[in-house]
Amino acid sequence: MLATEYYAVKQDLDRKGVIVSFGGYLSEDVLVALGEALRKRMALDDTDANVIQRVFSVFVEQTQNVIRYSADRFADTADQAIAFSSGMVTVGREDGRFFVVCGNAMDRRAVDHLRSHLTQLIGMDRETIRRYYRERLMESLDDDSSRANIGLIEIVRRASAPVEFDFLEIDDQRSFFCLKAFI
Amino acid sequence: MERITRQATKRTPFVDLNFPDGRLVISGEAYPEDAAAFFGPLVQAMREFLASGTTDVTVDIALLYFNSSATKALMVIFRLLEQTAARGRLVTVNWIHRPHDEAMAEFGEDFAQDFSYAKFVLVRRDAADVA
Repeated sequence: MLATEYYAVKQDLDRKGVIVSFGGYLSEDVLVALGEALRKRMALDDTDANVIQRVFSVFVEQTQNVIRYSADRFADTADQAIAFSSGMVTVGREDGRFFVVCGNAMDRRAVDHLRSHLTQLIGMDRETIRRYYRERLMESLDDDSSRANIGLIEIVRRASAPVEFDFLEIDDQRSFFCLKAFI
Repeated sequence: MERITRQATKRTPFVDLNFPDGRLVISGEAYPEDAAAFFGPLVQAMREFLASGTTDVTVDIALLYFNSSATKALMVIFRLLEQTAARGRLVTVNWIHRPHDEAMAEFGEDFAQDFSYAKFVLVRRDAADVA
């Protein structure tokens, strides 16, 4: 029974082309370990070095967004950079393209802003987003609060197709946010 | 000022700030757990060095990967170097990337636009040669 149950889970992941998948409390240490496994696996499959780089880059930015912005987060009070945040991240391959999906709970009040920001980014062509990235980066040098936007721009920029995103209301205060990028 | 070195870790770059020789090197991977904590003290040391010394400055940046938080730290360093060059000191930045690395080549092209006083050179070379 036990083997049957979990073999079904494993088979389901394999069918979806999943390379690494993690659900639970994400931390920076988990990010490093998953990232290493991901790079190693892609290198073993003779994946082009530039593709490995882009997948890894999107994986890092997506995972760090979960760690920083999950509504379900424990942070070291002395050092806010050290945190365990509930969420999930999955990297896999679908029809020959790599994808990175992440999901986490977020404050419902921030949903509209995030939705319009993502819609704006997705509407930009390659050169526009490259310029926008530089402009936001310049601004962020004097303003610490815009860090997340840079990460989001990086994700949209490295993706080879428009990123997909969705929100689901889970209770009075929180929505579940999901972002999928193809590389 | 005394030389500052940091050995590379899985997620932080090799750093050699050889102030007496005016030669600064950053190479490897840069996606620190806390970019401000890692780069902050290094940037502060560079700031002091650039404000006081008169030697020519050569900076070799040979990164294989850096995340968006590290990009910000790089921009701060580059702005500092450009301001130093604008005051008349000779500053050369070598942006070294592997021949087929599209992402690093593109970042180099973008950073190049921020320099007019400092010399910013795009170098295609196996990054392992630097450190």
